[in-house]
Amino acid sequence: MSLLQIEPTSWLFALSSLGPTVVLVLSALAVLAIDSLSPDARSNTRLAATAAAGTLIALGITVWYLLAGTGQPATGGAISLFSGAIVVDGMGLFFTAIFTSVAALVVVASYDYLEDDANPAAFYSLLLFATTAMSLMAVANSLATVFISLEMASLPSYALVAYLKTNRGSVEAGLKYFLIGAVSAAVFAFGISLVYAATGSLLLPDIATAIGDVTDLAGILGVGILMVAGGFLFKTASVPFHFWAPEAYEGAPAPVSAFLSSASKAAGFAVAFRVFAEAFMPALDVAVDWGLLFGILAVVTMVLGNFAAATQTNVKRMLAYSSIGHAGYALIGLAAVTAGAGANNATVMGAAMAHLLVYGFMNTGAFLFIAMIERWGVGRTFEDYAGIGRKAPMASMAMAVFMFSLAGLPLFGGFFSKYFLFLGAINAGFWWLAAVGAVTSALSLYYYSRVVKALWLEEPTGNLDALDSKPTGLYAAVIVAGVITVLLLPGFGPVIETAEAAAAAVFA
Amino acid sequence: MVTAFDYVPAIVLLPFVSFVVALFIGKQLPKKGAYGGIAATAGSLLLSLWVLASVAGGGAHQETYWTWAEGVGSQPFTLEFGALIDPLSALMLVIVTLIATLVHVFSLGYMNDEGERDLPRYYAGLGLFTASMLGFVIADNLLMAFMFFELVGLCSFLLIGFHFREPGPPSAAKKAFLVTRFGDYFLLVGVVAVFATFGTAAFAGAESFPALAEGALDGTVDVWTPGGLDTMTWFTVVGLLVLGGVIGKSAQFPLHTWLPDAMEGPTPVSALIHAATMVAAGVYLVARMYGFYALTPTTLGIIALVGGFTALFAATMGLVKEELKQVLAYSTISQYGYMMLALGSGGYVAAVFHLTTHAFFKALLFLGAGSVIIAMHHNENMWDMGGLKNKMPVTYWTFLAGSLALAGIFPFAGFWSKDEILYEALIHAGSEPLLFAGYAMGLLAVPVTAFYTFRMVFLTFHGNARSEIARNPEPVRWNVKGPLSVLGALAVVTGGINMVPVQKVLGIEGIDYLHLWLDNHWGGIEGLSSHHYAEIDPYSSTYPFGTEVATVLAGAAISLALAVAGLLLAWKLYNVAEPVEHTDKLGGAKTLLYNNYYQDEFQVWLADRTRGVSGGADTFDQGVVDGVVNGVSSVSLFGGDRIKRIQTGVVGNYALLLTVSLTALLVVFALLGGWF
Amino acid sequence: MSWIAIGALALVGIAIPLAMMAVSALLRPAVPEQSKSTTYESGEIPTGSGHVQLNIQYYMVALLFVVFDIETVMIFPWAVMYRSALEAGTPLSQALLPMLIFVGILVVGLVWAWRIGAVEWTTSLRAATQKTERQNT
Repeated sequence: MSLLQIEPTSWLFALSSLGPTVVLVLSALAVLAIDSLSPDARSNTRLAATAAAGTLIALGITVWYLLAGTGQPATGGAISLFSGAIVVDGMGLFFTAIFTSVAALVVVASYDYLEDDANPAAFYSLLLFATTAMSLMAVANSLATVFISLEMASLPSYALVAYLKTNRGSVEAGLKYFLIGAVSAAVFAFGISLVYAATGSLLLPDIATAIGDVTDLAGILGVGILMVAGGFLFKTASVPFHFWAPEAYEGAPAPVSAFLSSASKAAGFAVAFRVFAEAFMPALDVAVDWGLLFGILAVVTMVLGNFAAATQTNVKRMLAYSSIGHAGYALIGLAAVTAGAGANNATVMGAAMAHLLVYGFMNTGAFLFIAMIERWGVGRTFEDYAGIGRKAPMASMAMAVFMFSLAGLPLFGGFFSKYFLFLGAINAGFWWLAAVGAVTSALSLYYYSRVVKALWLEEPTGNLDALDSKPTGLYAAVIVAGVITVLLLPGFGPVIETAEAAAAAVFA
Repeated sequence: MVTAFDYVPAIVLLPFVSFVVALFIGKQLPKKGAYGGIAATAGSLLLSLWVLASVAGGGAHQETYWTWAEGVGSQPFTLEFGALIDPLSALMLVIVTLIATLVHVFSLGYMNDEGERDLPRYYAGLGLFTASMLGFVIADNLLMAFMFFELVGLCSFLLIGFHFREPGPPSAAKKAFLVTRFGDYFLLVGVVAVFATFGTAAFAGAESFPALAEGALDGTVDVWTPGGLDTMTWFTVVGLLVLGGVIGKSAQFPLHTWLPDAMEGPTPVSALIHAATMVAAGVYLVARMYGFYALTPTTLGIIALVGGFTALFAATMGLVKEELKQVLAYSTISQYGYMMLALGSGGYVAAVFHLTTHAFFKALLFLGAGSVIIAMHHNENMWDMGGLKNKMPVTYWTFLAGSLALAGIFPFAGFWSKDEILYEALIHAGSEPLLFAGYAMGLLAVPVTAFYTFRMVFLTFHGNARSEIARNPEPVRWNVKGPLSVLGALAVVTGGINMVPVQKVLGIEGIDYLHLWLDNHWGGIEGLSSHHYAEIDPYSSTYPFGTEVATVLAGAAISLALAVAGLLLAWKLYNVAEPVEHTDKLGGAKTLLYNNYYQDEFQVWLADRTRGVSGGADTFDQGVVDGVVNGVSSVSLFGGDRIKRIQTGVVGNYALLLTVSLTALLVVFALLGGWF
Repeated sequence: MSWIAIGALALVGIAIPLAMMAVSALLRPAVPEQSKSTTYESGEIPTGSGHVQLNIQYYMVALLFVVFDIETVMIFPWAVMYRSALEAGTPLSQALLPMLIFVGILVVGLVWAWRIGAVEWTTSLRAATQKTERQNT
């Protein structure tokens, strides 16, 4: 069944094309409405249920659209809305699926995390608003929409990081995140204005056509593109805009860290992929070789993230740095792009998208495991994790799955996504990116396996009685994430096919 | 339409499933996984028979199941898993599954009834062993064969060392593993060389490496050789490298030393190793790629010489052993020597024939020995036995059938196959004098074999009981007698599948079934027929006794006469009420034989001599390799520590660093892009 | 070439204020006096520290103000265009409805903030003690 049966200009059509976004907004408003009706009641369960239902329905609609071929070549190509400011296509839906899945996991996990919280409605609504904004980032087709949606995703994130108002770490992290975010937003907005100055348009396809005629203004355009790239680097926590990440991820409540490091990062890549593939492809020859830029940054990010992660003693901070490293892997999707090599570009970018999807599950799961540890109050360092595998075997097994999958061992989903990514890079002629990726992956095995070793092989150092309480929601989220991470190994075929088709449609 | 070939993977997978089942839930199962193993191997046997029937019905089959690596670039190597079902592999499948089934049944009596511990581990090992061997048999390329070859080696290690709590078995297992691994090392280099030379490791088809090698020697195909070496020389080197693995696995001189020690494993495992799996794998590999070996006369000569020498050499050591299974171990080495002799002298069919008959009678002898060992409460010394003939008639008569086959007495199975091997060596010796040496040694081994075989029979079953246990042996049950009877019957009649002498002498056409079978008479794959091999091998036939019929008759008469002579000598010396050790008269020679010509000592001495080299390698490993690895990790950690310092925690520094990096990027790209 | 002009302009822009400050520093007489360096408090003598913590609820009000400010900014151009759009035949569903949705979303947020007490001017415990302390002195 296709949405195109409805008249394409009608409001209803626009709303139904943006179905996931609309559902997310409505559920966020519903959360606020429920809390407004009875502000003093203990309503954590109701709110969590509403939020979870919203994200799951949005996920369901997204997957349905993906399967039905909405906005994809099968049913007539991308759907352009609001004078081209928004375009619904395979790539947008693919990324929306990542955001909504991560948001659903995080909501379910937060239920336990917020059990003693005075006012959980703020948390759920902020999370849902941020997810809404991300789903808009995925379909934004004009630099104006890109900026607005990016800021709209960032603002709730700042508040979420600082959500634990009485925790100094959380507040400090929120403030740092906000300040770096402000600097980056300024850079980003300035970049957009320069691109507009050079090309005279904000719509991505129009920019692409206008780039051919910039001639004198190539320098302006180049500076603009670099600064726009800066905005995306902030959102994806890539070097040199990564400084906020270790602190924000460490200070924030662990479910929020999960959300930021998985969904928010993927959102940054969603919009970066679209902007650079659609608008700035012609600029490769004219203004700035941004492929090289991302290549350099990918290498630096991979090296910095993995090396810094190797020396951490705090598990959450280690994961924060590893998350920076993974941003480096995903950057290969933009770095291994060359003008005129459509098929190779689509392959490698599709592989990066698939990696982000797998990463969405394994990284969210890992942070949610940390959330569980935080709730138990066991401690933060590797030593504190010793012997937990005996008291909480299921969760620790899932954590081992996440760690090995993140390292890319060929037992779980993370192997294929990295493999296809590196293979794509090699086929596109960027063997050095793949080589750095492989070497840093090998290094990453060192620190990932430290966690597994601590969990399973070491004797408990402290008192682990707190582990007797079993937070249902957290457990469920962690196990589901683990099962999906495992299932993505055999089920990787459809994922990579969808991703590559979506990327090919953007490059076409 | 569903054909037998659709089920080929199932033949391999069924024992594998029984391995998994026995491993994980074996403890909960009745008989600890034995029934699962029997069902799986029996299922594989039925499927194999179906496959055999399908091949006989004109089918042959090659299929690629999985391409697990596809090359890119100028030299695209495709690494695949696939099945090659032709007359040879179909026959081998039936042999392996039949022996495996019988061994599983026998294990009920030998292991379960004897109350052994850790039975799930045992049945898991048997299952994996069988599965690995079957995978090896159906392999359609050398690399896949190599992988399963290694798996077979691993399983033999696990099973020989089954009684790991005693001191002997683990040591024997280690020895078997290391010695065969020494050979496999050459095989691995050989596999790589085959890939480098031909770009493929497939056994069959126009693009297979034997076919390409043939083309290369004709000058129609170009292949890579290192340093522009002559193709013939290079092919000989490659053939010898692969042969290294064969010599290790098939226990040929000088890598035979692991096999007698492997007797430490449970007796059913020995039966499996000697008859159908491990040791057979080496000879099977040569037969599988015979199209390649037949091209290089030097390799063939070496194979024949090694085979003939091993046949005689091992037989002499069998003369003086005191333990039942030790005698059988040396007989195995000797018999595989015969097969190698056959392969080396162009007797492809003869080798496969002897492989088949030997599989049956050697499995029979081992299971018979197992039966005796049960009866003797695990005392294996033949000097403590005697007079068991009347106490255990089924074992005696079947064991006697196996022994007659082993000794090569007309009309038992071994006579036909051994005779054909010697005949092939004899008629081809005209074109390659080296084969005379092989023939002579093979012929000399005949009476020796007959002698030690019947020394064993008479000491065990005849005369008076020489110990209390032998007077009151423990009875064995159906699960021991059943397999013995089946194999006993086979040991008597299997010769019938290939009665070439009868055909030649009486002129009856069409009773040399195995010849026709391997010659693709009923169907097969182009280029894998005995006819084709005969065309490409370097030999021509000459008949030293005038005509063909005369040569057949004379050859058979000589070998039979020698065998009977050996038998009669054993009769004279040992078939008495109270036999004494006549080999003592050999004096110093006996000590030499008893200590296996000091082969083990020599190899240990040799290994000690290499200590300097290995010490150097160790220093290199510890110093350079570990140093580099440790260096890399400490540099990484140090670097990580530096990188960590960038994160000062002061947000102003972050903003500064961010701006500075962005500016630096802007400047660099401005210069690169030439914006000014 | 045009970049050189921009660079020159930047240099001049930085140089002028620096020069003015330098010149005045050279020309003015130096009469140090303590009252000159005190904080300017409309002629009053300053009391207490310069670092004053303001009540967080001021920010709450400021935030709510920003929300309504942006709402006004969005409504203003819409209101200007509204009549002419209707005359041009734009249906109400495209002229009025989007603005109603926009305002509706903000209203939900406002109602929620109101209900959880964000706009109520509560006195914190510390502020109350400080007030009593001041009264006692």
